[in-house]
Amino acid sequence: MKKTLNINIGNSIILIEEDAYEMLTGYLNEIKFHFSKNADHFEIVTDIENRIAEMFREMLLQQQKQVIGIDDVQLVIAQMGSVKDFENADEAEGGIYEETISGVKKLYRDTDDAYIAGVCSGLGHYANIEAKWFRLMFLVSFFFAGSGIVVYLIMWILIPRAATRSQRMYMKGEAVNLHGFIRNFEEELAGNQLISRSRGFFVELAEAVGRIVRTLGKTFFKVVAWLIIILGSCFFLAMLVGMAVFLGFSDANPNEYFPLNIVNDAYLSSMVFAFFVALAIPIIALVLFAIRVAFNSRAINRTVSFGLLVVWLGGVMLSIFYITKVASEFKEEAEFSQVRELKKYDAYTLTLDRSRFFSRADSVKYQINSDKYRGKVILNDMDDPYNLPRNVRLNIEKSENGLVTLTQNNSSHGKTFEAALSHAQNIHYDFSQQDSLLNFSPFLQLNRNTKWRDQEVTLTLKVPVGVKLILNEEMDLFSYSFDYWSCEDHGAPKAWVMTEEGLKCTKP
Amino acid sequence: MRKGILEYCVLLIISKGEIYASDIIAELKKAKLLVVEGTLYPLLTRLKNNGLLSYNWVESTSGPPRKYYLLTAEGKEILNKLDITWMELSYAIETSKQTKS
Repeated sequence: MKKTLNINIGNSIILIEEDAYEMLTGYLNEIKFHFSKNADHFEIVTDIENRIAEMFREMLLQQQKQVIGIDDVQLVIAQMGSVKDFENADEAEGGIYEETISGVKKLYRDTDDAYIAGVCSGLGHYANIEAKWFRLMFLVSFFFAGSGIVVYLIMWILIPRAATRSQRMYMKGEAVNLHGFIRNFEEELAGNQLISRSRGFFVELAEAVGRIVRTLGKTFFKVVAWLIIILGSCFFLAMLVGMAVFLGFSDANPNEYFPLNIVNDAYLSSMVFAFFVALAIPIIALVLFAIRVAFNSRAINRTVSFGLLVVWLGGVMLSIFYITKVASEFKEEAEFSQVRELKKYDAYTLTLDRSRFFSRADSVKYQINSDKYRGKVILNDMDDPYNLPRNVRLNIEKSENGLVTLTQNNSSHGKTFEAALSHAQNIHYDFSQQDSLLNFSPFLQLNRNTKWRDQEVTLTLKVPVGVKLILNEEMDLFSYSFDYWSCEDHGAPKAWVMTEEGLKCTKP
Repeated sequence: MRKGILEYCVLLIISKGEIYASDIIAELKKAKLLVVEGTLYPLLTRLKNNGLLSYNWVESTSGPPRKYYLLTAEGKEILNKLDITWMELSYAIETSKQTKS
């Protein structure tokens, strides 16, 4: 007992035993592979299959049976011949037949395979060398004072174009067997002479220029597309890594810096993720479009791109939601003032003091108790996260009551008035007086993990008329508060005096 | 040795009138030119694409329609040229044989 299969070969339904089927499939695959290099492989294989089907039908009819067995398949293969037999036959091709049909080789320009006028491809056919080598040669010769251009133009004018089928055949000589053989030779020659006459040198020149522009344009777009693919992919990878690092170490430093220090910790991670989606998907889309330009094929199907669009819209909506949420943190504003009286002197020196007072939290953070810092003060700590944005203003005004006072005004924004006020209260600002020396800190300090809510400190120094002020050079940090640069005195500390009209510059 | 002869013979066989592929094979076998059938099909396709042959689909009593080949005008022209070549060849051989003996 044997298993049988129904096969459709050459439009006939044939019942065949399983082992016979295996053998037939193997044989047909061999044949397909053998002819796959042939341009007409489909037609040849179809013809062979049709013939095999016919043989099967004859066998079934003659032997009065239902099923094709392995013996029948062997018979068919013997009759049809193995791939080895075909190879022997291929070697026997040519001879007197080819000679009768093919002519002697002549030099023509091949306008079917042309970048400019087909000179190089024509030379290639004539010399039996690939045209690209001639192209390379001419390209290189262009750099030697352009001598190649002249040679090319001369050859263009002198070498005729392969216009008729016979000319094309002469051009290719024996290299291509019979392809494009003369159909009604005389007739076609007559027809083509008309066309040849109408195609002058300048018509060809214009066509050639068009062809070059098209080629260059295509190349340019491909180069741009490649750049986009490479840069976009790098950017995307960088974003991906950046986000992964951020989400992995979100309790570390980066969120103390502007602008991340604006956002509440509670939704910082999801907000960053939403931003990532909203930014990354357009980059992916750009890269995919570039891939389409560069390779002329779609990288993803419609469903996936639609999915990406939906995800992107989600990301954008989430981003907008969080932005509004953060913006609402700035809805209310609160401020309060503190006035302190300073010891009276005839003249004060104002300097910028970059050293910091430390809170208890800072002591822990910087391990102040350890031996490393014993007896030391941190100066010029510009790397400190609380640097940005620094919002300290200094106004200098006339005192009406004869007292020297410094008003410190803290202000901040917040979701509610209470929150804003609490933020304002948490501002820490360092100011100290050492006799007539007034030390101002260039920045305000916030408690660790306090979010930035537009906290500001406005200082108002009031001095009576006649009091002298010497402004240390670094005080130009506050120069927007008063006309610091009007006192042109390079190098030396600026000396000012309070008059009835306000602060005036005095030459020392 | 047989270079080009097979093409010549196929054209000769077809020149006698519209003919089916397996009949061409039968003739070639009679002439002891073709051992296996499979080599004929690429040859026919090549001759057809060169414009020397064309074919018609003809209904058959048993099974699907079959391809019947016939010569085109170009095919006849080439066959004439091949005839001349062949006569030249055989003349050369015959004269060689005669002068030898």
